[in-house]
Amino acid sequence: MERLTPEIARLFAAKEERRHMLAALPFAEKVRAVVRMQKMAAPLLRARGRPVRVWPL
Amino acid sequence: MQGTLQVLNELERAGVLGRYAIGGAMGATFYVEPLLTFDLDVFVVLPRAGGGLLSLAPLYEALRARGYAEEGECVMIEGVPVQFLPAYNALLEEALAQARETAYDKTPTRVLRAEHLAAICLQTGRDKDRERVRILRAQAKLDMDYLAGVLTRHQLEAKWNEWKG
Repeated sequence: MERLTPEIARLFAAKEERRHMLAALPFAEKVRAVVRMQKMAAPLLRARGRPVRVWPL
Repeated sequence: MQGTLQVLNELERAGVLGRYAIGGAMGATFYVEPLLTFDLDVFVVLPRAGGGLLSLAPLYEALRARGYAEEGECVMIEGVPVQFLPAYNALLEEALAQARETAYDKTPTRVLRAEHLAAICLQTGRDKDRERVRILRAQAKLDMDYLAGVLTRHQLEAKWNEWKG
């Protein structure tokens, strides 16, 4: 298997670090992030015929 | 979501629900990075109906009386589609009994323990459950002794070892 270059390994490590930072956020802050994701995903899902609703906060 | 949780708390106080806790993707989000979902999965202990049967009908009726309509498998409560899942086996009963008390902003609520969320995924066994177990293992601070007890009690060790890879 090909080894990762140091640059790519550093990018993956940074992504992993960000995931852990997001996991440590307060619950209410995470819910707000979920709603932001809903707003981004909803138009795509509706275009595919899946009726979804963005939650009110 | 605050209004939704307030309605659930009110239903619990009124005895329509025995006890409730958040599970599914939003339950997992309590412990890991935010996960995209459009439904709020709520596990519930229901008061036993006549003949000891578990039925969501009285709960749906109480919600209709409060003006909350069913939409497919969910009930729209204060703008959030809530899917109620009755505790239909020993694992879910235990998960609900041991759910964590927490708060969303200032509204009290309950969330299933991360170890129970993982065990429920193992028991359900779909591809997305496998992915959720992977995320919980990577990001949630699982109490491995507690998890071992859950897996043993509910005969899930083999599946855990298989999925752990």
